[in-house]
Amino acid sequence: MDVILQSLAVVLQPSHLLMLICGVFMGLAIGILPGLGGIVGMTILLPVIYGMDPHSAFGLLIGMVAVIPTSDTFPSVMMGIPGSSASQATIMDGYPLAKKGEAARALGAAFTASLIGGLFGALVLTIIIPIARPVVLSFGSPELFMLALLGMSMVGVLSGNKPIKGILAAGIGVMIGALGDAPAVPEYRYTFGLDYLMDGIPLVVVGLGLFAFPEIVDLMIKGRSIAEVTTLGKGWLDGVKDALKHKFIVLRCSVIGVIVGFLPGLGGSVVDWIAYGHIIQTTKDRENFGKGDIRGVIAPESANNAKEGGGLIPTFLFGIPGSGSMAVFLGGLLILGIQPGPSMVTEHVDLIYTAIWSLALANVFGAAISIALSKPITRLTVIPFSYLAPFMVLIITFASYQATRSWGDLIALLFMGILGWVMKQYGWPRPAALIGYVLSNNLETYLFISVQRYGFEWLTRTGVIVLAVIIIGSLAMGIFYQAKKSSKASGSEEGKGK
Amino acid sequence: MMRNLGIVFSVLVTLAFGYGIYEAFSYAYLAKIFPLYISLVLCVLAVINLIQEFRASRKGLGADSKTTADLESEWGDIPMSDVLQRFSVFVVVMIVLYALVWLIGYPLGITLFIIILYRYVSRTKWHWAIVAGLAGLGFLALVSKLLYMDWPEGIFKLPWPLG
Repeated sequence: MDVILQSLAVVLQPSHLLMLICGVFMGLAIGILPGLGGIVGMTILLPVIYGMDPHSAFGLLIGMVAVIPTSDTFPSVMMGIPGSSASQATIMDGYPLAKKGEAARALGAAFTASLIGGLFGALVLTIIIPIARPVVLSFGSPELFMLALLGMSMVGVLSGNKPIKGILAAGIGVMIGALGDAPAVPEYRYTFGLDYLMDGIPLVVVGLGLFAFPEIVDLMIKGRSIAEVTTLGKGWLDGVKDALKHKFIVLRCSVIGVIVGFLPGLGGSVVDWIAYGHIIQTTKDRENFGKGDIRGVIAPESANNAKEGGGLIPTFLFGIPGSGSMAVFLGGLLILGIQPGPSMVTEHVDLIYTAIWSLALANVFGAAISIALSKPITRLTVIPFSYLAPFMVLIITFASYQATRSWGDLIALLFMGILGWVMKQYGWPRPAALIGYVLSNNLETYLFISVQRYGFEWLTRTGVIVLAVIIIGSLAMGIFYQAKKSSKASGSEEGKGK
Repeated sequence: MMRNLGIVFSVLVTLAFGYGIYEAFSYAYLAKIFPLYISLVLCVLAVINLIQEFRASRKGLGADSKTTADLESEWGDIPMSDVLQRFSVFVVVMIVLYALVWLIGYPLGITLFIIILYRYVSRTKWHWAIVAGLAGLGFLALVSKLLYMDWPEGIFKLPWPLG
């Protein structure tokens, strides 16, 4: 309890609050821009946090990532375009509400649901830490290796419709992570004689290349320009009342959000659809869904904010990121000199609670600022993307260059950007690649320590066997499910042919 | 055409993993174990994936899947040839930007880049394009001063904040 209160005192310090609010504003801006999400936002911030006090850096990073699912509601409701992948389902009922002149009501309900969902995620994280502590401390390198493997296999299987492509995408990430110096011996791998590659490709470059670059290109190709200004209308208070009236929907979907956030691989783009599907399945009067039912806004919005709390659990406790943005956050922890994993619950508990308080406060600030500044923010959503793209190129090239301050960063950004765009076009899940990249070094180090310390006996440890069974089970289930789906699809194709 | 390009990408991925195996043999024992075994497993999976894609292509089914963890591109009524052409143009534009930066340094290079894009892509008037360029330069100068950030210098040295 003392640690919790001490962390609150740290969070309320002006310097931390300032960083948190900076993060919140940045998150709001990133959320409004269609296509961009937590991964890009976090990656842009990485060069800024070098040498920063960890508590302040947490304020900045968590403040930013916590409010993206709040502000991404603006383009979803006002324009029918998802601000990030986590707000796709909100369009289903949010946009029809806006067309009826009830955008303010939809936004009011969405922000209230987001706030409650975000606070719920923070609460779950608070409760989990002391409960999970003994389990986490019993984990050694062999179990951590298997957990990293489990995280990657789940990402691979769950993040795409084709498990094999998901696993291969994660593998691409692992191999990119293996470039440069080997952890165990002084040897440089896959450098092609280039000095730049001796330290590997930095996370900032990989993150911005795989995610920001393809989004900028796609939006430029589409030449997206917003056709008409949608007015906010009235009904803010009605929206807030709607969310409070449907408190059990908010609670149920928050639970879904935490669980989905906890599982590696699912992440933002499915959590809203799962919550939306859940609410349709469990509701009797469903004829208005898709036409502007407020429950269709409340459900995904509460789930997508709650997932951040869930995603922080495996990231902090095991060093296994639950999503792409958590993978970048993991990289941020390493930049700050913090090793995520079991040592977090012994050496850095204060930081975990700083993160939790930051998460809770950021959700409050995010919802309040979104409501207070809704009119100017709504005007921002009508700026054609071609006006923003040159500035985004400025930000990604400038941020990438800070990684090692060499030309290699800019060239690598272009290569990673092309790779990311091609992966995006052909259904190779990029979050899996990013998580593979971040886990690559950990995988090798844990494997090396396991073999050095236990020989091949590490394979016979109970934890390792249990995790191996789970890995095989999850892979088998994913492949079985996919095979079943494919046979159904080919069956319907043949049916059509007849 | 797009489907064939998808298969070409899968072939390249397979070759990359194959190269991973080949190259790993030249490393010391402790450095090669991890990339060697990972590449081996991935190479086998990549070959299986390739066979699946060929078979799907021959059956006329979609060679690739839409992923759920990614915001996929949906092009609507833009023909795929146009998409590829515009993508190529964007890559060329980026290379031109790099060439500008190499010559005159990052601040002036990116300022010109913003002005040109505003004028010829967004079709704004010259004075608005120049205002946008100067705004970019101002942002750059401010951030680099406040956060001690650096930028690439050109071969022609210019005074701060231009180079």
